[in-house]
Formats: sequence, structure tokens, C-alpha cells
Amino acid sequence: MEKAIFFLAIACLAVMSCTKEKTDYQAEIDTVVGEHSEFKEAASISSAGYHISIEALNGIFYKGYNEIRLKISGSQPNENLSAVTFLPVITNAEGSKTSCPHRYNLVYSTDDKYFPGYVVFTSESSTNETWELHISFTGNDQTYSARQNITVREQTNKNLNMTTFVGKDGEQYFIALVAPQKPKVAENELVAGIYKFNKPDAPPSGNFPDPSQFSYTEVNGYALQLDPRMPEPSMGNHSSPNNKDLAQQDDGLYYGVVNYTMTGNWTLNFIMLNQNGKILKGTEVPADFTPGVEGVKSELYIDILF
Amino acid sequence: MKQLSIIFCILFLGIKANAQQAQEEKDSTQVLEEVTIVAKAKKKIETDMKMAVSVDDYLASSDNISFIKRGAYAWEPLLNNMSTERSSITIDGMHVFGACTDKMDPITSYVESNNLSTIDIKSGQEGSLHGATVAGSIDLKRKSTPFSLEKKYSGAYQTGFEFNNQQLFNLGNLSYSNDKFVADGSISFRKAGNYYDGNNEEVKHSQYNKFNTSLGLAYKTSPLSAVRVDAIFDKAKNVGFPALPMDLWLSRAIITSASYKQLFEEGFIRVWDTKLYFNAVEHYMDDTRRPENLVHMDMPGWSTTYGLVSRVNIKHGDYASEIQLNVYDNLSIAEMTMYPQDRSKKTMFAYSWPWVTTRFASLAMNNSLDFSEKSRLNFGGSLGYNYNHSRYAEFNRIFHPGTPQEKSRILPGLHASYQLSVRQFDFSVGAGYGHRAPSVSEGYGYYIYNSFDRYDYIGNPDLKNEISYEANASAGFKNERMGVEAKVNYFHIQNYIIGRILNLGSPMNYQSVGVKGYTSLNHASIFNIALNTRYDILQHLHWKGTLTYARATDDKKGNLPFIRPLSYQTSLHFMHKRMGVQTSLNGDFAQRNYSPEYGEDQTPAYMILNISANYTFSIKNCKTVLQVGAENVLNEYYSTYADWGNIPRMGRNIFTSLKFSF
Repeated sequence: MEKAIFFLAIACLAVMSCTKEKTDYQAEIDTVVGEHSEFKEAASISSAGYHISIEALNGIFYKGYNEIRLKISGSQPNENLSAVTFLPVITNAEGSKTSCPHRYNLVYSTDDKYFPGYVVFTSESSTNETWELHISFTGNDQTYSARQNITVREQTNKNLNMTTFVGKDGEQYFIALVAPQKPKVAENELVAGIYKFNKPDAPPSGNFPDPSQFSYTEVNGYALQLDPRMPEPSMGNHSSPNNKDLAQQDDGLYYGVVNYTMTGNWTLNFIMLNQNGKILKGTEVPADFTPGVEGVKSELYIDILF
Repeated sequence: MKQLSIIFCILFLGIKANAQQAQEEKDSTQVLEEVTIVAKAKKKIETDMKMAVSVDDYLASSDNISFIKRGAYAWEPLLNNMSTERSSITIDGMHVFGACTDKMDPITSYVESNNLSTIDIKSGQEGSLHGATVAGSIDLKRKSTPFSLEKKYSGAYQTGFEFNNQQLFNLGNLSYSNDKFVADGSISFRKAGNYYDGNNEEVKHSQYNKFNTSLGLAYKTSPLSAVRVDAIFDKAKNVGFPALPMDLWLSRAIITSASYKQLFEEGFIRVWDTKLYFNAVEHYMDDTRRPENLVHMDMPGWSTTYGLVSRVNIKHGDYASEIQLNVYDNLSIAEMTMYPQDRSKKTMFAYSWPWVTTRFASLAMNNSLDFSEKSRLNFGGSLGYNYNHSRYAEFNRIFHPGTPQEKSRILPGLHASYQLSVRQFDFSVGAGYGHRAPSVSEGYGYYIYNSFDRYDYIGNPDLKNEISYEANASAGFKNERMGVEAKVNYFHIQNYIIGRILNLGSPMNYQSVGVKGYTSLNHASIFNIALNTRYDILQHLHWKGTLTYARATDDKKGNLPFIRPLSYQTSLHFMHKRMGVQTSLNGDFAQRNYSPEYGEDQTPAYMILNISANYTFSIKNCKTVLQVGAENVLNEYYSTYADWGNIPRMGRNIFTSLKFSF
């Protein structure tokens, strides 16, 4: 009998081995969302004794917002270079050329020792569409200009998505997510850039490219109201508490707070208002809990996933 | 001398460990008397009506226990009309915590009636010996056979069938003992289908399967000391919860302990008993059997506990004391993963218990001082330290921004009571004061769906300690033929923790209508009264009756939920030679003080009649009992105030059972 009990005990321990593995939450978040923090050279141009290096996060230009760092090495120290300009141009299959939101005039940062800038690529490079960077600067009273074809890749991190639309004022706007790259189940500081295309007053003149044809600016004093929701039918239009609308800060970007209650697909529903509080784009979304029904999105939204 | 030590050892393994009785001993001859008392006091896990009861049925026969029922299995015991967070539920003093966020696995579901000897229920702060509590304590005492001079085998086998839900059960236990070694083993299987309500309609998803086995081995290391190892393994599979939107696919628990016990012949200290324990519980819900669920959510939970219990009994003259040190570390994890219909891709993930560690240590003592043979003062207290740590505190910070990852609490408790016996009358008055820490769900729960009020619940790590002030009294009269006893208790609870609607929250679970956060009411009060009577009408005809009433209000004089309305139990028991016949009537009056605010509706009155008969005979040396009976004879269609989602209870159920013991 003792033997029987002994074997029974062994049997108990045998069946006690774990049944379902616990979710490795940390690893799961890491695989869904990669995070880049290192600037590497994404393009370089050598021209007339100068070497221009354009750095971007991870050394790759992605669709959406890209912070860039321009470094020029040559006979002149960077401090003495002036009128440094940066212009991305896309050429489509028909040969028409447009640009995208970017900082045109770059100013040297003596602390950082580079020319900081940004560019919001509106599409990926493809066989029909090619991106080219036009850079010019003045050194020793002489103007240099250079151009370089680049490749813009798909942004796989949906947390850095962008959208483009025409507002009720007839202007073309761009909203690009800047941060967080890697959201958490927490209150996340949500950073976005809002840009506008300045329609040219006159036809192109002078040598290509004429910057007046490709003028984009950060919009000032706008407001971006935020309502994050989980759009999947199973999530029943689930939302989160303690979100804050986005408002502009000194660096020109718009800052708010988004609270993600769980991992999964989220939609950031926006309403964009101009300086006068007039709605330029976006609609209120229903707040009802509607299980089994796909969440209604605002006419202005960006989908994210983490 | 040798005899004395044997007596001591019998005492020591008489599991009873009833300090107050053990302390009455004055010399060795009285020790022997004490042993016989222990044997008599050892109640069997069976009710008057039914000898093959589940642990839940057995608990239900106690007048201060009521149940929240989510189906036919794993009922949540309410002590003094307070939910399980407020009571300390232990197995031989060991803390075990369920792994289900929806309380589908109270600790009582991880044991079986054939591995328990008795259940020790203490009301209020008197139960603080095992840990901080408000409502009291329920200690499930395991079976353990004493050492014997000669080799001895004993055992029992019980089988039965219940017709309503086609329940078949087989329970067996076997013990071996000699003067150095004891082994106890038990095994049980229960399998039940869906039950039928009083309208003879099938209550879908009410089936269950349970397997339970236990083993205990004791070895006498010296005439006054022994070591013992114990293990319980329990597995429930395919358990339906008709009141919930999901079922249980599998739950398993392994509950182990190793203890060392030392007895002392001289000095103040009589017994020193130390036990190390470990238990692990895993619980996996399953909602794929419900066609109404368009989405599926996996909600596995795990709970692992390590602990130490060390107890010393002291006796000096008229003073006796029991001092206990409790230490445990528990890790509770629960996950939610949601899938759309095709299940190919998950749509969300979150922790409903974000890896919450609870560490608790307490030093508690119960003392009794006999002023005379007629009067006694009991007093005691405990001082506990409770520490919580949430590994993924970001989930808690969604609703409570900036809340710390760790939280420590000091949990004091005090109680005193005075007992007086005057001729055939007994009186007692007592008072208590105690704190409790919020449970893991109350503190750290995240989107825990409560299908009763259909809200998602969010824990609050910053909740204050719940503080209970309690008063109790009892009066009784008894003679040979009759006994009457009335017991009342009143709890005034500050910072009473309960879920309140959070307007800023957005629901997440499929059936949910909103979000509630655990908050503290300024105070709440709970009043319980029970009246027990017994009368021996004839030598072989006994009558018993119980009447209970409770009233509980929040700080705005609103009703609290899950408070039992006026209810009664009355039974007649007739014995003649080898025959016994019992009949009982129990029911609740209409629930008048219900709480719509907390999701309750009014439950009408009901009355249930039960009848059973048993016949005892011997086959060789084997005592055999055959029992046949019927519960809910009138096939009443009813649900009680605490039936989750008003699911109907079982209709007429004819049960049979056969027990052999040797």
C-alpha cells in the first residue's frame, strides 16, 4: 500500500508540470515594436571638395517623420557655412515633382555640431516614384549645390504613422507621429508634427528647384483633440481615461498624452482646430460601448499598433 | 512514563489541536480524558441530511456561512455575510490563494470531504490567529491518523449517484498506523452533468469533473516529537459556470507541507509546531464552448504561495495561550488575451493581475484566563505586516497615475470576550478591532469582469486599510432535552471597500456595461443574528431549528449587496435501531433589503423540503451505510439572493450513496 501511495505521489508531480506557458510580456512588446535610438548615416554626397552626410535614426529614411542631422565636412568649418538649405523632391511616373513637409533652412547648432532638421516623407520609394535630396550651401562666398537619390522605406512601426488630408479651409495638411516610438501600457507622451503646404503664388521661376514651389510650414497655434479607441469589433470601441489633447510647444511640435490600457490595435481619433478654434478636419466619435461592432473612426485618424 | 509519552503522541496527532481543550489538562490522567474528548469532538464532514456531501454542502450547514453560487461547483463562502477577501481561509493554517480573478476557485474547491476531518470557523477578530481578517476565519482541517501501538489499517470507500445531474462519485481513503509511522491517503472522483431546475429545464454549462487525492506521512522522531509531510493534489476539468460567460477548462492545485512538532512534558510551553508549506494553483478559463461569444478571451491565472506557520501553546495554572507566527509570500498572475472569431490573430493583451507579490508576516496570540469554573476571559491580538509589489505597475497607473509600485501596511488586531456560565445558562460578550489590507483584485485588479453587475472592475493600490470595530454577544440555555442559543454580532467597518462606477473608464469585456473602481466607503455596518434551538421530542426523535437574519448598510444608509434575508432551517431526525430518517425544511423569506445600486434585484421567498433515510449494517468487519434521499422534494423553481445572475438552483434531486468503512 505504501508503494501505491508512493507511486501516486510521483504521478501527482508528473501531471503538475506547467500546462499553459505564461506570456512573456516584455519579449512580446519588444518583437511587435522595435525602437531606434541611434543616428547613422542614411545618405552622403561628395561634391566640390565637400562631403555632406545626412544622418537619420537607424541610418534609414522611413515614410513619415524623420529627424535628420546634416554634417558637412570640407575646407570650411561648418560655422562659416551659410544659407544651408535642404529640399526633398519626389518625382512620379508622369514626371511631376512635389515635395513633402521639411525644414528648408538649416541652422548650425554649435552645441550639437550638426545642422538639425526634419523631413516627413509622404510615400515610400518605388519604381514609379523616386525621392531626391537637394542641398545647397554657401561657403567662401561661393554657392554649392548637390543632389542625391535616396530610398525611403516603409515604416513598419505603426506608432510613427502619418496622414495627409485637405482641411475645410482648402489647404493641404500633414500630421505625422513623432513619439512614442515604443508605447507602453501607461500614459504616453504623444508627440506629433502638423504641417501645411503653402500654395505657391506664382509659377516656378529660375533654376530647378524653385523653393517657393515646395514650401511647407509647421502650423502654429492649432489644437489637436484626441480620442483613442480600440477599433476591433471584439473590443467594442474601448477607450482609455486621462488622455490629453495635443497643444503646440516651443519646438513647434504638438504634445499631448495618450493612455493605452492594453496592447493591441488602437486608433487615434483626432479633431484639428485652427488658431480660432474652428474645426478644420475631424468628427466626434461615439463613446458608446458597442461590442461586436467595429469602432467608428473620426474622419481624421491615425491607426497604431503595439 | 512510556505510557505518558504515548498519550502525548496520541494527543499530538489527534489533529484537533484545540488549544482551549488541550490547555485544560492538569496532569497526565487528565491528558487521557482530553484524548477521548478530542475523538468525540472530531466532527465528520457530513450533514444531518446527507452523508456524502461536498465541502460546500458541509459549510452551508453552518449558520454564519452563506454562499455566492455561480453554478453547481466551487461556491464562494461568505462568512458573516462578508465576501472571501474579508475572511482568512486556510488549510491547516496554510494560506492558499485562488488563481481565478472571477473567484471561480475559492480555496474550498481545492479540497475534498474525504481528506478533511473538520472545518474550524471563527467569527470576527477571534479568527485573526492565521492572519489579518475582518469577517473571521475558516480553517479546513485535514485528516490525520494518530500513531497507534499496534499496526492498524483503517479506511472507507464511498460511492453514490445523484439523479438530477447524473453525478457519480467515488471517494476512498486508507490509513495505516503503527507506533513509529503513519500514512493517510485519499482519492476521489466526481463527475456530474448539467443539472435541471425546478421547471425540469436543463441548466446548460453546469457540469463538472473533479479529481482529488491526498497523502500524509508522519514519522515519530522521538517519544515527544514527530515530522509529517502532507500533499493534496486537486484537478477540476470541464467545469461549467452557467452564471458566467465562460467556463473552466482546467484548474489544478498542489498543496504541500512539511511540519515538525515537539511536545514538552514540563514547563509552560506544551506544544511547538512548525510547518513549512508550498502551494501552486493554476486556473484556465475557457469561453469557446459558448456560441454566444463572438470573441474569445483566454484568461489564465496562476497563484504560488510559500509560507511558514509556527505555533506554541503555553499553559500555566489558569492561564493558557496560543501564539502563532505566520509568514507567506504569494505571487498572483492573471492574463487576458482576446481573439476575434477566427482566432488567428490576437487583438489585445493585458494583465488582470500584473504579477502581484504579497508578502505577509504576523504574530498573533489568543489567551484565555479562567477566573473560576464558571467564568473565563479570552483575549488576544495580532500584529501583521503586509507588503505588495506589482511588477507591471503601468497597468495600475492607467487609472491611478503615479501610484507606487510597492506598498506596505501595518495590520493590527485586538479582541476580547468574556464567557460566563450560570447553571444551565451561558453568556458571552466580546469586542474586536482589526485591520485588513485590500486583496490582490481590490488593490491591483485590472479589467476584471464581474458578471453579476456586468461591470469591469479596476483595483486601486492606494486604498486605505479596512478597519473593523466589532461587538458580539451570545446567550444560551441547555438541558438534557433542549437547547436554545442566540448569537449576535455587529461590525462597523471603516473604509469599506466596494466597487463604484468610474465615469472616466471605458469597458473592455464583451458583456460589460461600464467600469467600476474599487473605492472605500466612509463606513459600512453589518449586523448578524442567529437563533439555534434543538429539542429531543422522544429519545430517538430530535428536532433542530435555526433562524438567521442580517442587515447591512453603507454610509448613506443604502443596502449592501449579498446580505442574506431572513432565513430558516429546521429538521427532524428519527433513529430506530439501524434505521435513520431525516427530513429538513429550509428557505429564505423574500429579500426586502436588496441593493439595485450594486446590481441586485429582489429575490422572492422560497422553501425547500428534503428527505433522506439510511440503513446501517455490517458485512464481515465492514460497517456499511446505505442512504437514499431526495433534495428539493417539491421540485421548487427558485434562485437565492446570492445566485449569480439569478440562475435557477437544482430541482428535485434523488440521491443514493453507499459507504463501507473499516
